[in-house]
Order: sequence, then structure tokens, then C-alpha cells
Amino acid sequence: MPVTRIFYPLYQLGNPQLRIFRPKWFLTLVRPGKAQPPDVAQFRVPMEMTKYDIKNYLEKIYNIPVAVVRTRIQFGSNKKRNHLNQKVKQPDYKVAYIQLAQSQTFTFPDIFPEKDRKPAEGSMEELTEKYMEDEKQKQKSDPRRGGVTEWFGL
Amino acid sequence: MSGCHEPWPENLTHGSFVHTEAVVKEPNYPPILPSLTAKSKSARQRQVVEHVNKICAAPLAEKLSLVTRIQWKKYVVYPQTFARNADKWYQHLTKTTYIPGLPEKFRSPESPEKTTEKEGSESAAAPAAGLDIDDEAFAVIRDLVTQIILQEHWHTKKHTPFLYRRQELLVGPFLRNLVTELTFTLAKFNPLFRLCSLDINPQVNFYWRRGQRIIPRGHRKGRQEPTRFQIDDHPNCQIRITEQLPQFAQMEAFYDAEVPEITVSPDKMPLFKRQYDNHIFTGAKLPDPARYGHTQFHLVPDQYHRDQMAKRGHSDHVEVFLRANAMASLFAWTGAQAMYQGFWNHEDVTRPFVSQAVITDGNFFSFFCYQLNTVALSVETDANNPRKNALWGTESLRLYESVKDGEVLGLDDGVIRLLISFLMNKP
Repeated sequence: MPVTRIFYPLYQLGNPQLRIFRPKWFLTLVRPGKAQPPDVAQFRVPMEMTKYDIKNYLEKIYNIPVAVVRTRIQFGSNKKRNHLNQKVKQPDYKVAYIQLAQSQTFTFPDIFPEKDRKPAEGSMEELTEKYMEDEKQKQKSDPRRGGVTEWFGL
Repeated sequence: MSGCHEPWPENLTHGSFVHTEAVVKEPNYPPILPSLTAKSKSARQRQVVEHVNKICAAPLAEKLSLVTRIQWKKYVVYPQTFARNADKWYQHLTKTTYIPGLPEKFRSPESPEKTTEKEGSESAAAPAAGLDIDDEAFAVIRDLVTQIILQEHWHTKKHTPFLYRRQELLVGPFLRNLVTELTFTLAKFNPLFRLCSLDINPQVNFYWRRGQRIIPRGHRKGRQEPTRFQIDDHPNCQIRITEQLPQFAQMEAFYDAEVPEITVSPDKMPLFKRQYDNHIFTGAKLPDPARYGHTQFHLVPDQYHRDQMAKRGHSDHVEVFLRANAMASLFAWTGAQAMYQGFWNHEDVTRPFVSQAVITDGNFFSFFCYQLNTVALSVETDANNPRKNALWGTESLRLYESVKDGEVLGLDDGVIRLLISFLMNKP
């Protein structure tokens, strides 16, 4: 089924307030590109969400105390061209900066920590690595010559 | 003869050596300085040094205009701001430590006794203890304060205030009347007030540099640029005096104090940049004799009133807002006073500049004292500068409970005492 445009009714004083029970909106927590203060978390949110929507979403569903929400819309570039020389648009997205209340702090965790890659003892990888290292050592010139080329001499 | 060698050469043994003064040799050639006009780093450094020397040697009015001459994009710092944790940010930007409570001068002498004896009898017995006024005068001032409160909230008929203009209609006139009446009443006890200047809705501006950043894009990419700040403040009223108030504590006492360090750019506060004229102004122009500041009175606007903050769920932010307001306003005022005396970034203050502030929303009063120990905040001058500025402050204290049937209920004497002691501060 194609995605049809959803029009939310405009709220006027006295109207029943809109309540969404199972929102179709999904937030993405991202690592900030530029350094943010310690109490700020950065999310990519759907374009239709407003600051109040984001605040209610985080407070009601995830119990996160939110003090202030600031949003901006990032324009996705339309500059690149494909093999047919047509412009290819990268989608626009909305970014939300959430300042946490009750002096809580948040730092984006390191998802891909550096691992010490040491192959298991006696395995094929260890033998091949050792062999490659020995070959590289053979290629190097004698360190006692102090960088002087091989052909220079008597 | 061979084999014997003299210990001293013959041509130098002329008999006795006469002690002579070292001959001062004047250099034959002028000192070797880097060029002024070459396209080199040393030439740029020499230009900067010459410019600084030129400013130091200039007379006062020219000095101010030379410091504020060139316009660049600068962060506009608003003392009354909605930003979260504004007090930590402003502490970093102005290099101020915050000390909760007031300096020893203003601490009530009854406080250790209050814990053991009844509060009512103690405060009723000696209401003017510790102040330089007699009990009669205190009673007169107390009546005066009740009259002023009733005048604005009971006697005068005011139309229902428009949205977010309640403070301007009700509390602004109350504060102005309070300050004028108290100043005139205390003029016979405080000789400073005979030559003071009471400004109504003055302007206070200050311009300074702190920190630097690398320019990310543009033809100046990769170079260091100092971050500039400007405060344009409008206190409700202020008192300026001809003599300086005495310092609250020694400058050296704050060498080890803690000032929060913030490594993130001020953009994230949020703080926005604009370019316009750089102003430095205490409230009056340079030739005015009342050059030093005494007390400023600020009004909390409707958006930052505690009821509005409670509606938005930011009740914990009320005190933060007051502290940030006091810090920025008083730093700007004392900084401008220091610049009016000729101290600037490269010529640091030789004596501390002291001012006070009272911030109120009509019912709750907060008292702040500020001591400016250093104006040298830019990168070059701040590298080895151990001095820090200091702000003392109280939590908000309630003046009265409510106004009912032409009576003010629950008037707090302690707050009136603090107000009077603030205004009675003199060298």
C-alpha cells in the first residue's frame, strides 16, 4: 500500500486533544557531529514530529526527564548526479537536541571499541602472519648500513 | 730564563689595579626589531605589541574608543536568559566563582542566637541591631515599605494587565518607588547618598574577549580568532556613587577558587552572534563624577516569573536564572566601571571593584554582591592570571505573604534589614 499523506487536525481551543496511543514514529539516537554539552542527547526524528511531540514521546514511553527540545531540519543534498547525469536527492531529516532535566548527563557510547586482534595459538592465521612478518623482515636492508643504499660500496 | 714562567703576562703588570666603575657603553647601533610592514609572523606580533602600547599610552576617552573601534561578529549575552545551566556558562565566560550566602558584612549577627532562643522576641527586641540606624528610623522605614506595597497593590486602581505585561504594570512602579523612597530616607544616615546619582531604567553595556576558536570556513580558515562577547543590560534602577565601595575579601583569597571550565563552543548554550557597535557604558558618560557603582535593582520579567516556570515544569531553574542574571549584570557594570578608570584587558585592575544587586519579582527578593578582581580575560592575558572574580548570593527571600483588606500580611523584617544594610554599605 502506498504511503498516503496524513493530515493531523488543527487544534483550536476547546477541541478534544489529539492522543496517539501507538505512534508510528521512530526516533534514532545518533552520535553528535559537533561536541555538545554533557546534558544533551541528539536524535534523528521524523519530519512530522514537533518539539512537544518529541518531549511527550520520550517522557511517556521511555521515562526520560526532558527539560528543553530544540529541532532543526537538515537539508539532504541534491548535488550528486547518477550515471544518467540526473540529480540524486538525499532525503531531508529532522534533528532534535534534547536537554535532559534533573542535571542528568549523557555521552554517546563507543559502539565499535578497538579489539586486540591476536589469532589463536597454533592456528593457520598465526602461521601465515608469522611468515608474512619474516618475509617483510628479509626485504629490509641491513640496519648497520645506516640507510645507505646496497649498491654503494667497494 | 728557560724553565721559569711568569704567572701574569708582562704587559698587564702595571703596578696596582685601581678599582673603577664599569664603563656604561652606549650601543652604537639602534636595537634590532622585526619589521613592521613585512608579511611575516614576527611583523604581525610587532604590530600587535605596538597597538597595545599605543592604547596604554592614550588618554582615557581615546583608550575606550580604540578598544571598541573595530566591529566583528560577537556573542550577545543576555543577563535574563531562558538557557539551561546559564549560571555555569556565565561563570565560565566571566571567570567568576559563586559563593552561596553573603559576605560577613551582611550576615545577621543574631543568627547563632536564633537557634537557641525564640526568634520573634529576638528580632522584635533589636530590629536595627548591626545597622547604623536607630530603631525609630527602622520603624519609619518599615511603615514606608508597607505604604509603598499598599500604594501599588491596593490603593491605585489599575486596569487588568495585558498578557505578559503584569510585572511592568504592577511591580515596576513598586520597585522604583521603593528604591527612591529608601534612598532619600537613608540619605541622612549614609553620607554617600548626598552626592549619588539614581538612574531610572539605565543602560549598562560591556564588551570583552574570552577564549579563541579556529575559523572553520572562509578566507581566514585555519587561523585563531578570539571570541568576543557583549552585554546590553537594562536594570530597573541603579545607584551610582562618587567613592568606591570597600572590597569584601582580598583578591588573593580567590586564587584557588573553582571556576567551571566548559570546552564546548558557546553556540550550544544557545548563544547567538551579531555584529554592531561595541558599547562600554556604566549608566552615564565618561565625565560624570558618580563613576562607581553601588546597587542595581533588577525586575524579573513575566516569562521568568516563578509561576510561569512552574507551569512549564522548570521550578528548579528559578534560582539558576536569578544567579545568571546577577552574574552577567554585575560583571558588565563593574567591568564598565573599571574601564572608565582606564583598566582594560592588558592593564589589569590594581584594586577590586565592588557592586551589589537586588533582583526581585515583587514578592521574592534575592541579594547579590560582586567583586571584580580581573578584567584580563583574553587568551594572551589569561594564560598566567590566577585572579578570579567572585559573586556572593542568597536564595530568594519572601518580603510579604499577601495584601488583604488594605493590610500587608506577613511582612518579613529580615528582608527589610538586608535591604537597608545593602543600601547603608559605605567605605
